Amino acid sequence: MGSMIARRIAIGLLTLWVVSVVVFIGTEILPGDVAQIILGQSATPENLAALRAELRLDEPAFVRYFDWLGGMLVGDLGVSKAGGATIASLIQNRLSNTLMMAGIVTLISVPLSVLIGLLAAMHPGTRLDRIVSFGTLSVISVPEFFVATFLVLILAVQLKWLPSIAYLSGTENAWDLIRALALPVFTLAIVISGQMIRMTRASLLNVLATPYIEMAILKGVPRKRIVLRHALRNAIGPIINVIVLNLAYLVSGVVIVETIFAYPGLAKLMIDGVQTRDLALVQACAMIFCTTYVALILLADIAALLFNPRLRHPS
Amino acid sequence: MKSKLQWVSSGGLDRSETGYNGLSASERSRLKNAICRGVTRREAMSMLAAAGLSLASAGSIFTTATRALAATPRKGGRIKCAMSAHSPGDTLDPQLFTSSIDFTRGRAHYNSLIRLDDALRPHPELAASFSANTNATEWTFKIRKGVRFHDGSKLTVDDVLWSLNRHIGPNSKSKVKSLLSMVKEWKKVDPATIKAVLDSPNSDLPVLLGTHHFKILKAGTDNFQNPVGTGPFKLNEFKPGIRSVHVRNDDYWCDGPYVDALELFAITESTARVNALLTGDVHLISNLDPKAIKLVESTDGVGVWSVPSGSYPAIVCMTDAYPGENPDFVLAMKYLQRRERILKSVLKGHGAIGNDQPINAAYADHCASLSQRPYDPDRAKFHLKKSGVTSAEIQVAEISNGITDTVLILQRECAKIGFDLQIKRVPNDGYWGAVWMKTPMHVSDWNMRPTANIMLSIAFGPEAKWNDSHWRNDRMGTLLKAAWAETDAARKKELHCEMQTLVSNESGMIIPVHKSSVDGISDRVNGMTRSPLGTLGGSEWPEFVWLTS
Repeated sequence: MGSMIARRIAIGLLTLWVVSVVVFIGTEILPGDVAQIILGQSATPENLAALRAELRLDEPAFVRYFDWLGGMLVGDLGVSKAGGATIASLIQNRLSNTLMMAGIVTLISVPLSVLIGLLAAMHPGTRLDRIVSFGTLSVISVPEFFVATFLVLILAVQLKWLPSIAYLSGTENAWDLIRALALPVFTLAIVISGQMIRMTRASLLNVLATPYIEMAILKGVPRKRIVLRHALRNAIGPIINVIVLNLAYLVSGVVIVETIFAYPGLAKLMIDGVQTRDLALVQACAMIFCTTYVALILLADIAALLFNPRLRHPS
Repeated sequence: MKSKLQWVSSGGLDRSETGYNGLSASERSRLKNAICRGVTRREAMSMLAAAGLSLASAGSIFTTATRALAATPRKGGRIKCAMSAHSPGDTLDPQLFTSSIDFTRGRAHYNSLIRLDDALRPHPELAASFSANTNATEWTFKIRKGVRFHDGSKLTVDDVLWSLNRHIGPNSKSKVKSLLSMVKEWKKVDPATIKAVLDSPNSDLPVLLGTHHFKILKAGTDNFQNPVGTGPFKLNEFKPGIRSVHVRNDDYWCDGPYVDALELFAITESTARVNALLTGDVHLISNLDPKAIKLVESTDGVGVWSVPSGSYPAIVCMTDAYPGENPDFVLAMKYLQRRERILKSVLKGHGAIGNDQPINAAYADHCASLSQRPYDPDRAKFHLKKSGVTSAEIQVAEISNGITDTVLILQRECAKIGFDLQIKRVPNDGYWGAVWMKTPMHVSDWNMRPTANIMLSIAFGPEAKWNDSHWRNDRMGTLLKAAWAETDAARKKELHCEMQTLVSNESGMIIPVHKSSVDGISDRVNGMTRSPLGTLGGSEWPEFVWLTS
C-alpha cells in the first residue's frame, strides 16, 4: 500500500507541474496588452512604457516562467501589481477566511447529508425517500445565487433576523460571528448537500441490491447492522469522491456566494485579479486551487484504499 | 407598502427639470444655504420666483433641504459607509488616489490648502487667504497658524511645500501631474507664506488645489500604512481592499467632526450593497443601481441622495474617419437624440438633459444663453440626405449605466427616418484600450472635472490626448488659452459661451444627458454634502455629517 500511495503522490506532483505551465500560458495569452488594460482610460504612451518595464514584459516568457516557479517553491509569490502589497499577504487573509467557511460548511453538511442519504436508502420507496429525492433534485436544479438571494430576501430583508452581508469587522463576539456567517453557510450547505445526499443514496441502494447483502438479509442480520457494517464500506468510494469534489468547490468555486454576501474569500480575489490583469495574483490563486484539488483527490484515493482492501491488491 | 420584489422601475420618476434644477449650481447652493439658516418658506418662495421658477416646481427644493432643517448637529455615533469598489491598491498616499474610497479616506485624514463648496468655489482651509497677480501667473497663499498634525507636531510652510512639490517635476509619480504642469516652482516667501510661480497663466489654480489629490502631508512621509495628517479623523485601522476605520480627532483645528468614528469598506455587488442599506447594516452606500431607486424610495428609514453633476455619457463620432468626418452626419445624429426620453427612462429622472457640450449647469462657467438643441427628425433627415451616408456601425459596451439603452433609442430613431444604424456589442474588458478613440463610432463616459477649463482642455483641446472625436479646432485652442489666463469674470463668461457653442455645433461628441450622482443614505444621516464632483457629495461628507439617534 505504501508504494501505491507514493505513486499517487508522484502523479499528483506531476499534475501540479503541468497545471503550472498551463496557468502561465493561459495568463500570457489573455487578449489585450496587459499594461494598456491596467491603465485603462488614463493610459498615455509614457506611463504605458513605464508599466511595461516594471512588469518586465520585455523578457522572454520561459525566463519569467522559471523565475515564477522558483519563487513559488520557496513561498515568494511575488508582488501584486495593484498597490505593491505582496501576494502572500493578500492571499493569507482571504485563504483563512475561505478555509473557515469551507470548514464550517463541511462540518455541518457532510454528516447531515450522509445521514439523510443513509436513511433514504434504508427505506426506499417510502414517503421519506420520495421527499428526500424530490427535495435534493430541486436544490440541485436551482442555481446557487437564486438560493442565496431568496434566503437574503426572506431572512434578512423581510424578517430582519440575520444581516444581509457577511461583514466581519474582527471585533465580534461568538454570537455576532454566528449571525454574520449564518446566511452564507446556510446557502452553501443547502447547495452542496443535494449532491451528497443523492450520491449516498444511489451508491447505497446499488450495494444493497447485491447478492451478498441478500444473503445477509436471509441470514436474519438486523437491517441497521447490514447497512452500517457491510454495505456502507463498499459504498463509500463514490460517496467520498463526491464529498471531496464538493470540498474543493468550497475552496475555489464559491465566487458567487462570496460576491453576494461580500465575504472576503479567495475565489473573489482571483476574479478581481483577472479583471485588473494582476497576473501574479491570478497565477498564485490558480496554483492554490489546483493544489487543493490534487490534495483532496489524493485523500479520497487513500480513503478508498483504506476502506476497501480489495483495491490494495490489484489482481 | 410597495412590494419589495418590484426591482425594475417602470416609467421612472416624475420630476420637473425646468424647475429647481434649472438654476445654476451657485444659485441652488445659495438658496439651500438660506433655507438651512432658516428663512421662512415665503421668503424662499419669493427668492425662487425672482429666479423665474413656478411655485409648483419650487416646492421640490424643500425636500432636499429637509435633512439640514433637522435638529442641531449632535455628537456621537459611528457611521458605516459601503462604497462600490475597493482593491488591494487602495492607498493613503494622496498623489496616488484613484477611486472614491481613496478620496473619502483622504478627506477624513488630511486637509488641503483650499476647500471647495457645493458650487465648486474655493474657500480657505489650510490656506488662510490667497490671491493672484493680474495675469494669473503668480499665486500667493498665506498658511493658517496653529494647525497641528495628528501626532502633535505643528504644520509648517515646509510641510506644505514638500507636499505640493511632489506633484511637479520629472520624477513625480503623481496621478495629477498634468494638472499642475504650468507650475514652475513653489517658493517660500516667509515662514507663513508660499507662492506658486507659473510659466503659463492659470486663473483656476485655487480650485485645482481643492481637489482630492493635493492634500498636505508632513514633510518626508514615506510610510503610507500609517501616515499623519491634519484632518478631522485619525486613522485607527487600514487594511487596503478590506476596510478602514477612522476615529474623531478631538484636537481638530476647525469645528470638529460630529461622529465618533467612520468605518469605510466596499460591497462590490450592487444588489448586496442595496440590501445592506435596506436592512440598516450600513448608513451610506455609493452608486445606487438605477433599478433599485424606487425600492429605496419606498422603504422607510432610507432615501436616495441625488446630486446633479457634470458627468456625462457620450456617443463619439470620430471626425477624422468615415462617417464622422461629414459634419452633416454628426448634426443629424445630434438632432435625433431624444434627450427627455433618455433622461426619464434610462436615468430615471436623475440627471439633466445635455446640449452636446460638457459644461452644464453644475459648472460655475456654464453658459446659460446657449440655446438647447431640440429633437428634430425632419432636420436630421435633411442633414442625413445632404451627407450621403446611408448606414453606419457603432461599437457599444456598457461602460456606463444605461448607455446601451441610450444607443438603442438612437437606433430606433434612425430606423424611423430610414437610416440603418448597426450596433456592435463589445465587452467592457479592454474597451478603453481596443475600442475607445480607435473605431469610427463608439461610446464614451466622462466624470465631471473641477473647472470648465480643465474639462474642455483635456477632452476638447486641439492637442488633448483624450480628445474623443479627434476634433482639432484651432479657434478652440486660442479660446482655451485665453480662458486660462482670464481673471475678469465677464470676459471669461464670453469666452466660455463661445467655446461651448463651438463644441455643441462642431465637435463629434453627442452628449444627450448628464448623469446625477445617485447614492443611498439612511434617514438618520444629516449634513450630507452636495458637491457635484463625485459620489456621496463629492466625498466631502466625513467632516460634516451627524447621526440622529
